[in-house]
Amino acid sequence: MTDVASRASLESLLMNRSLSDVELMRASGGAPDYAILPEVSVLKIGGQSLIDRGRAAVYPVVEELAAVKRSHQILIGTGAGTRARHVYALAAELGLPTGVLTDVGAAVADQNAQMLGYLMARHGVPVVGGSAFGALPLYLAGCGAVIFSGMPPYDMWQRVPTEGVIPPYRTDAGCYLVAEVYGCRNMIFVKDEDGLYTANPKTDPRATLIPEITVEELIARDLPDLIIERPVLELMRRARYVRSVQVINGLRPGLIRRALAGEHVGTIISAA
Amino acid sequence: MTSTLSHSEPFFVAKDVPSALMRQTLLDRELLRPVDRPVIPLLPWLNVVVIGGRSIMDKGSEAIVPVVAELHEALLEHRLLILTGPGIRGRHVLGVGLDLGLPTGVLAALASAEAEQNGHLIAALLAEQGVSYLPHAATAHQLAVHLMASRAAVSNGYPPYGLYEFPPEVGKIPPHRTDTGAFLLADAYGAARIIYVKDVDGVFTSDPATTSTSPPELISRASAAELLARNLDTLPIDPLVLELMAHAKHQKQIQIINGLTPGAITKALQGEHVGTIIYAD
Repeated sequence: MTDVASRASLESLLMNRSLSDVELMRASGGAPDYAILPEVSVLKIGGQSLIDRGRAAVYPVVEELAAVKRSHQILIGTGAGTRARHVYALAAELGLPTGVLTDVGAAVADQNAQMLGYLMARHGVPVVGGSAFGALPLYLAGCGAVIFSGMPPYDMWQRVPTEGVIPPYRTDAGCYLVAEVYGCRNMIFVKDEDGLYTANPKTDPRATLIPEITVEELIARDLPDLIIERPVLELMRRARYVRSVQVINGLRPGLIRRALAGEHVGTIISAA
Repeated sequence: MTSTLSHSEPFFVAKDVPSALMRQTLLDRELLRPVDRPVIPLLPWLNVVVIGGRSIMDKGSEAIVPVVAELHEALLEHRLLILTGPGIRGRHVLGVGLDLGLPTGVLAALASAEAEQNGHLIAALLAEQGVSYLPHAATAHQLAVHLMASRAAVSNGYPPYGLYEFPPEVGKIPPHRTDTGAFLLADAYGAARIIYVKDVDGVFTSDPATTSTSPPELISRASAAELLARNLDTLPIDPLVLELMAHAKHQKQIQIINGLTPGAITKALQGEHVGTIIYAD
């Protein structure tokens, strides 16, 4: 079909069919993909894995971020961490729904974004959220980096998990979706392990590092624990821009710069 | 280097708050079980009424005025959260956005603005009765006080996913739209019921508007799984709602009614079986 014809057909399907119509959904996939910020990389700084460790872990990461932003444009998202775990446990015990947990958990990622923001203020890095996202290009052009709170804004509309009430889409998903919607170059999860292991290396001494794996293999292996939120894997399968992510160890100096340069220094997870 | 931060005491000890989930990845299914408790309904007296964009709003005053009149009567007796869909302008902005190559998250934010505008119209028509339009944040955090001060409030049926909308399985149309947003919100609040006001009597075996051969039959009651399995091309509700019903904490049934039939909204709010009732298995 010619471009003009396919465009006419998409427009007529849009006006006449249900938005769940298979033909319409397929036709919408034929629309062009315009990457909004294709040169930008998203870095997620872990809450429990890094920020909760205090200055021993955070100061070196801040220095590295301040250095890399001279040569790379970066969006820095924050995780939540131990206070989110406390408030999730408390709220779940009270019988509160996933939506309320999402809201209170978001506040913890916000606090972490604020703290990181104060530490990076002298480097000119602002903290932005919500409607201020419209000014991202200005901040990135001006200083090369922006900090945002990693929790997605799902609030009372968060999808409920199959079991229990813990919000399934948390800061890994939030940061990943920011990278995807802006069509970013890299999505790097900065945590406190060298990458993804066969089990949780903090509790299982037999766990071994998996340097590279596809989303399909990872879903098929159904590991008991995971360093990245499971729903991110499903999002990656459907993604149009960010088809691979890297998980690196922020406690090891220099890895953020190397990962931004495209080096394989942690675990690379890719959608086939 | 005066600007360099000092980190002379390299102790990699995390500062923890003791809790049942402390130090967990929150991804280990076994470890999450201890905090699994029944969820309490926050607003068990709430009635969620979803006004379709294409089905009601786009039909103009002919359809909207009687629906609003019925809602006006109903709010004397029931506490209502009225949610609206975007309709034809949502389709238009999706079309423009798709043509420009914009991603799903941007399309979601654009379409959501149209659902909001339809909400403002309904709220304006009910303002005299103390009904206001609430933006997402107020709907999530101040709904209780609004519904104590007034019998009803109007909000945006679209969920506030915006830029954080999921890439869909197929194509680029945002997957979480009005029907789904309303369902997730009703479930989070533990609402008494959710009623979808459309322009058909419910779910039909084939499209009542186009079928000429075998007369379409109304399915008055069906399970969500059964309807999904039948893969009907005439479903008047987003199939994602039927998928989500399986794991919903409270919303184990939904009702689809015809807003063009006088009295249908009133009957549904009184618990009468009009239209189609879909239940979780």
